[in-house]
Amino acid sequence: MPGSGARRRPAPGAALAGLMLGLVLILLPAGLLARPVAAATTVRVLMPSPFVDSTAPLVASFNREHQDLRIEVARGPLDTEAMSDLAIGGLLLGDTAYDMLLMDVSWTAKYVAAGWLVPLEGLLGDDALEAMVPGARTGNAFGGHLWRMPLTGDTGLLYWRTDLMAEPPRTTTELEAVSRRLQAEGKVRWGYVWQGRQYEGLSCVMLEMIHAFGGQWWQTGSGRAGGQTELDSPGAIAAADWLVHLVRSGVSPAAVADFAENESLQLFAAGDAAFLRIWPYAWREIERGGGPVVGKVGVSTVVSAPGFRSGGTLGTWGLSLLAGSPHPEAAAEVIRWFTGPETQKALVLDQGYAPTWASLYEDPELKRKHPLLAVQRQALEQGPEVRPLTPLYAQLSDLLQRQINGLITAEGSAADAMAMAQSQSAVLLESAAGQDSA
Amino acid sequence: MKGFPMNTSLVNTLLMLPALLLLAIVFAWPLLDSAWLSTQASSVLTGLAPTANGGANWQRLLGDARFWQDAAGTLRFAVVSVGLELVLGLAMALVLHRPGRGRGWLRALALLPWALPSTVLALGWRWIYNDPYGPLNSLLKLFGAPAYGFLTTPATTWLFTVLADVWKTTPFVALLLLAGLQSIPAELEESLVLEGASPSQILRRLTLPLLRPWISLALMFRLAQALGVFELVQVLTRGGPAGSTESLALYAYLNAMRFLDFGYSATLVVATFLLLLLLTAMGWLLLRRRPLEISR
Amino acid sequence: MINAMPVPPSPSPGLRIEGLSRRLGERTLLADLNLEVGPGECLALLGPSGCGKTTTLRLLAGLDAASAGRILLDGDDISRLSAGDRRVAMVFQSYALYPHLSVADNLALGLRIRGMAAREREERIMAVLELLQLVELRLRRPAQLSGGQRQRVALARALLRQPRLVLLDEPMSNLDAQLREELRPELRRLLCGGSQPVVYVTHDQQEAMGMADRIAVLREGRLQQIGSARELYEKPANRFVAAFLGRPAINLLPAEGQRQLGLRPEHLVPVETGGLAARLQQREWWGHQQLLWLESARGDLRMLVAADQPLPETLEVSWRPEHELWFDSHSGERLAAS
Repeated sequence: MPGSGARRRPAPGAALAGLMLGLVLILLPAGLLARPVAAATTVRVLMPSPFVDSTAPLVASFNREHQDLRIEVARGPLDTEAMSDLAIGGLLLGDTAYDMLLMDVSWTAKYVAAGWLVPLEGLLGDDALEAMVPGARTGNAFGGHLWRMPLTGDTGLLYWRTDLMAEPPRTTTELEAVSRRLQAEGKVRWGYVWQGRQYEGLSCVMLEMIHAFGGQWWQTGSGRAGGQTELDSPGAIAAADWLVHLVRSGVSPAAVADFAENESLQLFAAGDAAFLRIWPYAWREIERGGGPVVGKVGVSTVVSAPGFRSGGTLGTWGLSLLAGSPHPEAAAEVIRWFTGPETQKALVLDQGYAPTWASLYEDPELKRKHPLLAVQRQALEQGPEVRPLTPLYAQLSDLLQRQINGLITAEGSAADAMAMAQSQSAVLLESAAGQDSA
Repeated sequence: MKGFPMNTSLVNTLLMLPALLLLAIVFAWPLLDSAWLSTQASSVLTGLAPTANGGANWQRLLGDARFWQDAAGTLRFAVVSVGLELVLGLAMALVLHRPGRGRGWLRALALLPWALPSTVLALGWRWIYNDPYGPLNSLLKLFGAPAYGFLTTPATTWLFTVLADVWKTTPFVALLLLAGLQSIPAELEESLVLEGASPSQILRRLTLPLLRPWISLALMFRLAQALGVFELVQVLTRGGPAGSTESLALYAYLNAMRFLDFGYSATLVVATFLLLLLLTAMGWLLLRRRPLEISR
Repeated sequence: MINAMPVPPSPSPGLRIEGLSRRLGERTLLADLNLEVGPGECLALLGPSGCGKTTTLRLLAGLDAASAGRILLDGDDISRLSAGDRRVAMVFQSYALYPHLSVADNLALGLRIRGMAAREREERIMAVLELLQLVELRLRRPAQLSGGQRQRVALARALLRQPRLVLLDEPMSNLDAQLREELRPELRRLLCGGSQPVVYVTHDQQEAMGMADRIAVLREGRLQQIGSARELYEKPANRFVAAFLGRPAINLLPAEGQRQLGLRPEHLVPVETGGLAARLQQREWWGHQQLLWLESARGDLRMLVAADQPLPETLEVSWRPEHELWFDSHSGERLAAS
């Protein structure tokens, strides 16, 4: 199994030759398709496949209206992690073919630390985010600079069955009680489904739950890592305890331990569960799917433990400017247009994406046509939870996923699992501090 | 080359040069590069710039319980997968070797799983193992059995990754062994038949000893592949549940592509390579042995 | 074609084949073969490739299934027995030595399979090794042996089995011509004259004549003639047998009344007058003899004469009437001398 090195300029060689080669091969056709247009500046954007499709008509009209500026969109994969691999594969080769990248909110700090992004405040102004809903502004700045402009205002939401209850539950206790009652009555096989697979989605669920029980995952502080974890706090332990309790008591199926978005959505859409925790996009999927629950689904903010504030995990996508872009000004103009209110309004109408601009939440046309808007605004205003803003987030998330997934697939106690996650996080952060002082 | 002019070996070397060069470029260089990188700190914390940190990565590796767990798991996966593949592949090859109608398309059909891309195949198995809707659980339901968490039971999930791997690569092993079977002249078997040998005696006394080089080839090849298993676990289980199916390659990949810790990822790659080297050397030593003489 | 004579029903020693046939779909590989081989007799199956001789051998060994017919060995019907139960030894054209085993182990394997005790096994192997002068080669592998040595090992393996019937499939074809001639007497000494019948398949008429007591000529799955070499040479049943035996091949001249006159090249003699006028086209000088290629009014002729015979460009050729072989030009059957 040979390793490989990428050209060491400026990034060091990376391992896994085959993988990189594969990524390059995916990247190449995208680059080859780029047809230069004489005298016009071309800004190249790499986006996940669904965004390419949803923005295609808007990009086409932009290109019709602009003579001197063209947008070229490269199609990335559908899966978020695959998208990250593709982007990183390209960035490691040093010679990125793109000016901009549509990024998940959880990548920001890592990309900044890797030196792949250009700060945007100089190009877009210090007040670029001013007119956005407060919750949508978070997760875009790090270390005193603005690194990305959010295109969507996605947060985790609670989907519920309007045919089985009049009002959605507001607390964890209510949710559990309603679930049990419905299960006992034979109305649904399971109560609550969510994402418990060992992957990033589980970290999103955990982040929400930790806050829902009054804890927090990350305390911002100093040092290269930018803070420390608080995973062994009572709130964090209570969160893990509740999730494992749901599985062990049968409110959630044991199978959630392998559920990503697709699997949980499938089960809810089949009418086999009363509640589903997922992102805004699922609304359209359910409506389009034509299954037994169409027209019987309500959407609300996620639950919290009694006495605590609830907040969905922020899962926004945003545009960042890549270091090495030959024309940052032109790219900044494209970012402004792409993330601007007009484009977002079209995307809300077309695709049902959650917007980030406060004005769009007041727009009567949107309010009328898009039923989720009110709850999305509420979720964004309640203070959505941002995943730890640290370059080491991927590692922190990975070790928490392993602990929680282990907890729900085995016997252990939540306190032990969280103590382990906390100590492992501490070791990781200490080693970072050690490297910092070195 | 005794008796040939001296420059024959020079010509030979020159003729081999392009191949050697290619080998060096695609194999040796990346490995050396990784070995070098394994002595460097190169991560988000260093802005990805490599800075020498001596044996720190290796020291970390030795104390990394996750590495040892993954190494043991990968080894277990490889040994069980390859073992099953050899047994089933041999059985399949023996069936395909028999003359009969439709053998041609049967062979083509048998190769189908092997021709499928790993990721597509893993997605297929992901559905097969799906709880509660997948075919396997539907079957269990049909028999009134409770649903089984094929991908959510840390103690057994690795077995189901093995099954998926066996399904995919057994045809490859079978084809290789079939080529071996076809290289054995039919008269040898007929001669043994005339001696009164039963099919199992023929297999033990003749077929297996003569297949030995082919079995070795399949073993070495598959062992190397299985120790590097990546796509299958990445798509099927993502290393879960609770990290129980994480392979060394997946761990190295996570370090490189997710954690941007290239120094440690390179260390894992080199360690995996050394493990592979050790295993293939052991396998080679075992199989190199000439068959036992029956009598003096 | 010669049909089988009526067979006496009483059990007789040796090999007896009754109406043996093998068909594969539309193709007939062997049709209604009847013959007998006595104890210790060596019968050669002779014919061009595809004539059915190897098919016959495989049917006798039990490696292929017969479509019809019986095989009797010392009066026992072995047709239904599996190959392993027939106690038939076969020497394959390729010798079929097990490449992964030494000479000694090649011999031992069969005995082990039959469960023979180690001591008896060793004794028998040593005896055969000595008989065939293979003792010093016993630890070598087949790849380390010459062609002749391999043949001896294959032979040893066949004899070791103490078979009731020995079958040889072109055992000489992998050896060069000189070695073949040298080995013939040895092979005869080892195989023939024992208690078991020997069936020897070859496409080489010289080998058949040199090895066998009798020769059965096959063509397209049918027996053409069976008899001693001399019978076949002097009284061939048909044109095919006449042409297949004897080298250089017999001359066939068209004659009146739907007939053909067969004249062997060695039976032609040059005469002063009164013969058939011929013109010399080419000649091959063989040392002890020379072969002449002649052109005559009745057709081209091959003629064998003494090596030192001086020859003009034109000559006259004659023969003795008793050497004339007459054939029906349609059926090819030999006709009574006219």
